[in-house]
Amino acid sequence: MGKRKRSEKAEAEAVPKKEDVAPERPVRTLLGWKDKNEIEAKDNAASPVFRNKEKVLVTCSRRIVYRYRHLMLNLVSLLPHCKKDNKVESKETKGATLNELVELKNCSSCLFFECRKAKDLYLWMAKCPNGPSVKFLVSAVHTMEELKLTGNHLKGSRPLLTFSSNFEKDAYWKLLKEMLLQIFETPKDHRKAKPFHDHVFVFSIVDDHIWFRNYQISVPHNESDKLPRGSLDKMTLIEVGPRFCLNPIKIFGGSFGGPTLYENPLYVSPNQNRALQKKKKAGTFAKKVKAKTRRKMHEMANPLEPDEFADMWKD
Amino acid sequence: MELPLVNDDTMIDGEAEYLSEEMSPSESESEEDVKLAEPSKTAVNNRDALLDKLGDISWPENVEWIHKLSIDIDQEQEVDVNDDLARELAFYTQALEGTRQAFEKLQSIGLPFLRPADYYAEMVKTDSHMEKVKSRLLAEKQKMVEAEERRKAREAKRLSKEVQSQKLKERAKQKKDDIESVKKWRKQRQQSGFADDGADKALDFEDGKVFERSKKKRPGVSPGDRSGGKAKQAFGKGKKPKKGDVKNSKFGFGGKKGLKKQNTADTTNDFGGFSKKGAVGGSKKRKR
Repeated sequence: MGKRKRSEKAEAEAVPKKEDVAPERPVRTLLGWKDKNEIEAKDNAASPVFRNKEKVLVTCSRRIVYRYRHLMLNLVSLLPHCKKDNKVESKETKGATLNELVELKNCSSCLFFECRKAKDLYLWMAKCPNGPSVKFLVSAVHTMEELKLTGNHLKGSRPLLTFSSNFEKDAYWKLLKEMLLQIFETPKDHRKAKPFHDHVFVFSIVDDHIWFRNYQISVPHNESDKLPRGSLDKMTLIEVGPRFCLNPIKIFGGSFGGPTLYENPLYVSPNQNRALQKKKKAGTFAKKVKAKTRRKMHEMANPLEPDEFADMWKD
Repeated sequence: MELPLVNDDTMIDGEAEYLSEEMSPSESESEEDVKLAEPSKTAVNNRDALLDKLGDISWPENVEWIHKLSIDIDQEQEVDVNDDLARELAFYTQALEGTRQAFEKLQSIGLPFLRPADYYAEMVKTDSHMEKVKSRLLAEKQKMVEAEERRKAREAKRLSKEVQSQKLKERAKQKKDDIESVKKWRKQRQQSGFADDGADKALDFEDGKVFERSKKKRPGVSPGDRSGGKAKQAFGKGKKPKKGDVKNSKFGFGGKKGLKKQNTADTTNDFGGFSKKGAVGGSKKRKR
């Protein structure tokens, strides 16, 4: 009972924050109380101070495989504004349980890794409480622990995000871009955020999949952090990892449910893929039998002329 | 003739039924194109609702770029998904381009963006992990270097075989020539009756080369030592001396001295060949 009331209150509080209304009390800054009017005067054109209060809840389902668990842990280390939570039971993936969990933790979005059959990983990306949610199929997973990914960067430094231009092609891509931006970008004044920018995320759409890469920016510099123009050219990128590829399946209007706003026509579930493969193999014997009968028919239909030399070696 | 046709028809029908049961189509793995066309009609793509939601969640318009830190990069060409190298190259160039633009923006705002060399803080991968990475890289480099060296050694060996044979031939030839020239000189002297002063003609077979003693140290060998001084050497390398070596030292050039000179500085004081008691030297078989 108590839990419910608290969650409702948190929800009520969350909503006005998300609408970015100017705070009513005078804002307390390091230098003392600042009056609301002063702040507005400082900013241009009546825009209140924008505070990015994004908090991401990261959880997974039970029976997740080690590879995907490591991927989840990698993401946790990449996003300083996330909260990692315990595994949720498979029954609780439907319904309101996940939403309640998010409310409880006072988070505004959620990344939920669902692993099925110990083979397929589905990633739910949702904006809570009433935002859209997306279900992805994750493939081509490489974690940060692979020794071929040699880069390293500060833990908690704010990443630069790059999106390929084909995110503007369609409405659902735009929505996905916005969600990715909000979830993956560390808020500017987060407690755990470190000051420099030394890594860059790449989200790019190839073949209707979203590919994710994370590179470390390395510049051989002997000066201080001010870069002269020349050494920008000597900048190299070293891959840090992790790597994965997202295939959007469906976009829902609500958080973890709601009306379907978008369905990917090219998506085939991995079960169907496997079934197709098996069917291909299963047909070989039947095809062979059919081919044999066909051949027999053909031979019967076109009889050969008697062979002249058939009796040559007969004793 | 009718039977085979009937068979084919039933096969196609079966597949078509299976196809229509699936709601979502498959990709190029399927045999027919019928699959692709169908579900695009039934797939939901509610653009207006999507844009509505987008408006709901997006941040206000005039948020400064510093909050977003996002760059949009143009993807010029279509990248083939299956070509790994090209795909990764495309991602890399996208990242590089994005970083350049971002850095220019950051520089114009005046914020520091590079980590100075003395800023130590927690990194995303632990030091122990980076150690492993480094050792792996080093091992790879080592393997390459070793392979190179092995290849070079093989080549050098091949060459050196040839060079060595050349050298041996040279030496043999040289020796022959020297002996020939001495013989000639002797004959000449004989013929001219031992009467010349030796100034002219001279010993032009010397060629200005003075006889050099071989720098190899000749081991002092005691006279009773039938192995020619090679027995002691066995210990040094751990294997018995080759028969050729022993024979060489007894009968070859520059080896065992023979019985003309027996004592060197080492052997004067060396009493290893003598036993304390009883008969000294001589064969045991000798009859007394």
